[in-house]
Amino acid sequence: MDQRYVIAGLLLAIPTAVLLAVPMYNRMNPQLLGLPFFYWFQAVWLVIAAVLYVTAGLLITSREKDGESA
Amino acid sequence: MNYDSLIVFIVLFVVFAIVGFLSSRFRRGNGTKLNEWSLAGRKLGAYLAWFLVGGDLYTAYTFIAVPSAEYAKGSIYMFATPYVMATFAVALITMTTLWKMSRKNNYFTGVDFVKDKYKSTTLAILIALTGIVAELPYIALQIVGMKAVLQVLFAPFLHVTATATAVDDIALIVSFAVLAAFTFWSGLRGAALTAVMKDGIILSSVIVVVIAVPLTISGGFHHAFQLATTMGSAKAVYPTLSPKLTNAYISLFVLSALALYLYPHAINGVLGSKNVKAVRFSTAMLPIYGLGLFLLTIFGVLVFAVPAALHTIGYVSPANLGNGSLVVPALIAATMPQWFVGYAFLGIFIGGLVPAAIMAISQANLLTRNIIAEFRKDLTEKTEANIARWASVGFIFLALAFVFLIPPTYAISLQLLGGILITQTLPPIFVGMYTKFLDKNALIAGWIAGIGTGVYFVEAANNFGSPTNSLMSTPFGLLYVAAVALFINLVVVFIWSLAANTFKRSPSEEPQKA
Repeated sequence: MDQRYVIAGLLLAIPTAVLLAVPMYNRMNPQLLGLPFFYWFQAVWLVIAAVLYVTAGLLITSREKDGESA
Repeated sequence: MNYDSLIVFIVLFVVFAIVGFLSSRFRRGNGTKLNEWSLAGRKLGAYLAWFLVGGDLYTAYTFIAVPSAEYAKGSIYMFATPYVMATFAVALITMTTLWKMSRKNNYFTGVDFVKDKYKSTTLAILIALTGIVAELPYIALQIVGMKAVLQVLFAPFLHVTATATAVDDIALIVSFAVLAAFTFWSGLRGAALTAVMKDGIILSSVIVVVIAVPLTISGGFHHAFQLATTMGSAKAVYPTLSPKLTNAYISLFVLSALALYLYPHAINGVLGSKNVKAVRFSTAMLPIYGLGLFLLTIFGVLVFAVPAALHTIGYVSPANLGNGSLVVPALIAATMPQWFVGYAFLGIFIGGLVPAAIMAISQANLLTRNIIAEFRKDLTEKTEANIARWASVGFIFLALAFVFLIPPTYAISLQLLGGILITQTLPPIFVGMYTKFLDKNALIAGWIAGIGTGVYFVEAANNFGSPTNSLMSTPFGLLYVAAVALFINLVVVFIWSLAANTFKRSPSEEPQKA
């Protein structure tokens, strides 16, 4: 299988894998603007997830283009 | 008396209705075909698809159900944030596959795939019925949200409770007549273009309110969390998650993430996209939408720092928190200028209308394509499209009737029951896309086992009373019922398929060996 598919799959899995580790981020400190860590940590991962997902999409799209020209 | 909020609300609603009707002209094709009405001719680009699918997300679930649950039950409802994050990873894998197969084989619905793959009418009809039934409480929830907005909007003008209720009901019926009419004429195009307006208004409102509210209260977020701990429900924990709820939290977010793209309305939006790139990039950008959901969740805590909002909700004490579904409208009304209240309320109001339209369209699609057409093979495309249009109107009013019959708290908890039902369609759709191993009778047996145990466990968890709790006690602590039911479903499907494949193969293989 093309390596790009494996990397794309990993990029998609990372955010969910991180947030599955609930005890790791289930705490009060450090706070951000008065928000408990439990809250803002998960929000930050929304943004990271979007970046990783778009990267995975670009990888697969480039794979499809190569496939057409080959 | 200041009528600004009412005037802004009405003017914007008129604009919304006009956009809905005119959108039937957008990239117009042959409007008499079902494909054109229900999938917008499969011509939606990445941006429109982003708004349309995102529109499924910003529903009354987001601004009524989740904030009210956070308000009443605490941090366990933060599960909505990892849920939306994870669900788009699920979608990026499954929906791109489904889109490609749909274009190749002309599927309109997930059930079209099931029927084509397993050649079983029984299985296809079961999956179609599950989709239709699971959508109904979801639509009812949208109406509960719209009702909450009208209630707070009209509150300053009406002091007699009886009149206020009558006005709420009439306003609700009028807006639904508009919704039904434009769903009928414009189909998915109407929903997609009005979704742009809806999301624009909601996103801007959420950002403004989230910045403004902490500034108007002393001590900001930190202070609000302290107040929540003393004033909120004695059973709830707000700043962090109670460690005994860890598995409940995980099962709620993982199962909800798996469930969203099994809902017919979510699949419908994806299949309306014009190419696989539009599906991929619209989906990849969607976690950004989750930021709005995250901020709205916090409203359930912020409200404790705003006495005027607590008054609107009817807060009395930690034992009597009042009507939690009013958290977001009450917070906006208490902190923002009148014209802005009208603007934000319209956003929330059509935030219920548009998803309800998308859901009714997808129900109509299933009923026409996957149930009626099974019994009436002679339908022309034009008749098919007509039946679907009228069915969408029927479903909208069925859901409306739901709300008059069932009190608000029920509708919100019924949405979780819908999630338990729709999850049971995962084996034939998501698993079936990637393997030929599954047997059609095994899938039917698994479906029966999953639906049966799911409904039983939910009833048992509520002592066979009204369904307000969707978590059940297990050896792994509290878990979302959908997780247990899906596990049972999958076990039945795999064991039965294994047996079926073994028996099927042996006669054909033996002659080759001999």
